[in-house]
Amino acid sequence: MAEVVTTEQVLGDIERMLIEVIGDDLLLDGPLSMETSFDEDLQLESIEFVALSEKLLDTYGENVDFVGWLAEMELDDIIALRVGQLVDFVTSAANG
Amino acid sequence: MAEVVANGLKFHVQHVGQSRAAQDHEHGPDPSDPSEPRPQVVMLHGLVIDNLSSWYYTLANPLALHADVHLYDLRGHGLSEMPKSGYSVEDNVNDLEALLNEWGIDTPVHLFGNSFGGVVSLAFAHRHPERVASLFLIEAHFAVEGWGEHMAGSLALAAFGLDEDAVQGWLANNADRKLSRLAKRSERFLMNTSLIDDLQAEQPIGWLGEISCPTYAMYGSESDILDRAKELEAKVPNCELEIVEGCSHSLLTERSALVRDRALAWMERFD
Repeated sequence: MAEVVTTEQVLGDIERMLIEVIGDDLLLDGPLSMETSFDEDLQLESIEFVALSEKLLDTYGENVDFVGWLAEMELDDIIALRVGQLVDFVTSAANG
Repeated sequence: MAEVVANGLKFHVQHVGQSRAAQDHEHGPDPSDPSEPRPQVVMLHGLVIDNLSSWYYTLANPLALHADVHLYDLRGHGLSEMPKSGYSVEDNVNDLEALLNEWGIDTPVHLFGNSFGGVVSLAFAHRHPERVASLFLIEAHFAVEGWGEHMAGSLALAAFGLDEDAVQGWLANNADRKLSRLAKRSERFLMNTSLIDDLQAEQPIGWLGEISCPTYAMYGSESDILDRAKELEAKVPNCELEIVEGCSHSLLTERSALVRDRALAWMERFD
């Protein structure tokens, strides 16, 4: 059986990926939390969210149906996404 | 980041949905039989403040459940290279041809074009009819009399964040970090490249009647380019037009759920 992925691991992965995408400025307001909003808090550009998605696919692509997850969301839902929603989705999908 | 060199430039590309066939399916049977070739969809975005993310946030993922969806940032846009010159519609048509070759796609593709991406799609379908299965156009923006003045005007407004629809809505939702980066990039694009000159030099197109593939065109009833809708309907032989009441030129983001439903229905016709 595959190793269980924890919420903390996924949160850490996403923080590392975000630093790769937008740099260390990410942490100026403190560490990434489950409540952090991609749009309001991080002011992530939409093209940066695409870059983050690509990194997530590279890391978890085999197990995580990222396309199917995003396909069910409306534009406003994606804009309003919080880190915790992404972490919970990846964690539960990766542990299948 | 996925990057590909085509037509001498580096392009930021995203392929959505290709690996799905190999993935586990928890929600019923696999919709994509690996033995059946999936439709190929390429999406082209609008000018200056736009990039592939407007498709990624709206239609790309839902369509990727049924098709291989290829997105790229047009030259000068998003994370693609920004050459000093070469921003005519024809340059963009050449880019698309080179990208399709680079991707090894030789079957006819379904082109989705938003605004300026619409005229690139039309021009590609005119030049390479054998490579296009259909056109799905949202607020397609093509040259008519006075095109140069209109494009320069709306671009100049966009640069200063004064446009009444797309830019205004975007800016209203975005605070300092994004705004400053977007503004800087847009300013660089407009000031340091031949974009405006190239677009002003575009001539009104006289070949709409030669577009042979099935075409679906959507426009907002409040769009500033509604005259294009009438022209497409009148001249493109196999064109269905839908005017969406109360919408502006930002139809894709204002009514993304409606546009998505239309796009999915459109693709079903080619099953």
